[in-house]
Amino acid sequence: MMRLPAFDYRVPREVGEAVSLLAEYGEDAKVLAGGTDLLPSMKQGLFTPKVLVSLRGMAELRGIRDAEGGGLRVGAATTLRDVARDPRVLALYPALADACSTVATHIIQGTGTLGGNVLLDTRCTYYNQSAFWRTALGFCLKKGGDVCHVARTSPTCMATASADTVPALILMGANARLVGAAGERVVPVESLYTDDGRDWNTLRPGELLTEVLLPPPAPGSAILHRKMRRRQAIDYGFLLAAVRVDGDLAGGLTDARVVVSCVGPRPVVTPLGDLVAGRPLTAELAEEIAHAAARPAAPLTTHGVMPSYRKKMIRVTVRRALDTLRGEPSAAV
Amino acid sequence: MRQILRLTVNGEAAESLVAPHQSLADFLREDLGLTGTKHGCDLGDCGACTVLVDGEPRLSCITLALECEGREVTTIEGVARDGRVHPVQEAFDRCVAAQCGYCTPGLVLSCVALLRDNPSPSEAQIRAGLSGNICRCTGYTKIMDAVREAAVELAGQAPSPAEGSRRD
Repeated sequence: MMRLPAFDYRVPREVGEAVSLLAEYGEDAKVLAGGTDLLPSMKQGLFTPKVLVSLRGMAELRGIRDAEGGGLRVGAATTLRDVARDPRVLALYPALADACSTVATHIIQGTGTLGGNVLLDTRCTYYNQSAFWRTALGFCLKKGGDVCHVARTSPTCMATASADTVPALILMGANARLVGAAGERVVPVESLYTDDGRDWNTLRPGELLTEVLLPPPAPGSAILHRKMRRRQAIDYGFLLAAVRVDGDLAGGLTDARVVVSCVGPRPVVTPLGDLVAGRPLTAELAEEIAHAAARPAAPLTTHGVMPSYRKKMIRVTVRRALDTLRGEPSAAV
Repeated sequence: MRQILRLTVNGEAAESLVAPHQSLADFLREDLGLTGTKHGCDLGDCGACTVLVDGEPRLSCITLALECEGREVTTIEGVARDGRVHPVQEAFDRCVAAQCGYCTPGLVLSCVALLRDNPSPSEAQIRAGLSGNICRCTGYTKIMDAVREAAVELAGQAPSPAEGSRRD
């Protein structure tokens, strides 16, 4: 049986108190929201915080509220299920609802939170293992070692961004509200991530993600989310892709953008405005967009699924998503 | 440091001193002796430890006992009603939906929650609702049969040939 290491446990009743606790304990504290990734990781010895600061005592962090001027404000501790079945989310942000519904399993969707997903630790087949497993091979860069088992000469960790909701959130232009002892700031979700899987997020020490802010959807824009994984439940993805096109599909697009994830420490954003401007979304353009989206991505051996296959599937997945938008049944690979 | 935990388990108030790192599964099994809740993978993948917290399925191996302060927990020991096993349990029995039985408590609890929220689920909805519970024996066919039979029974009808079990 895998037991958790010992820690102290605090339940702040308001955000100010939570932020004070995080400032007081610094690196020794971890935030506990749904716990569906943190607690398994702690059982595997990946984190040994002295204190867990639970979010369960703060009702203000749960729930979905209408934002002034349109859009929605989603409390960071709102469960993925509550996001996925909210009628406003389903109407305005169907790609986000889709993404939430593909996380792990029914039970984990009802436990895990949107904030926890946005700040999901980077993952790698050489990192997300028991202490016994990691000891046998020798520790990697992300956890106490001096070599990356995926790219042995890499000075940085190659563990991958794996959060299901993030590609869609980036394309929606979502923002994150971060509250720290020195005050609060609102930053684009896209800016939360770095190129180093070890030090993968841009939060300042002691900052707490309190809200994810969803702007009103742009008129004439469509976003689709796609996930590939080995089983259709439980597993993290080995490829995530979200596609956004703006404008008239038949008359001429004004903009397009693709986000690909699970291929590196941060989601890869490919702006395609120049490629698509003024062109209708034909099969030919869909293929060009898919190629352009796959070009910058460089999947490595982080997943136990061949990098060459994952690279090829970026093109296929993006093209199929665009075919869906075009109302075409997808042709064979 | 141990903290006081007060909650309701299977309809009865419980109060205990628990360590922060004690999981709900450990608390139920070791402090309350409710060993129907099983340890499987212990990492939140397999669903053997599923219990209901305020009616919603939760993985008790990756839930801190202290996170359930003031909540109502239902384990497999608490689903029988008036001395009679739950219709979902009866259907699992009738359809032979358990072989080794280790996943069964978790599956039954997920199924109870599924049919409460959606009394006549489609095939896809059953699969989604039970996606967090792995069974390595049955191949799921008889589990699906049991869920369909339980749905019919809970709706107050006798199983019809079309919706009932396929026992060949």
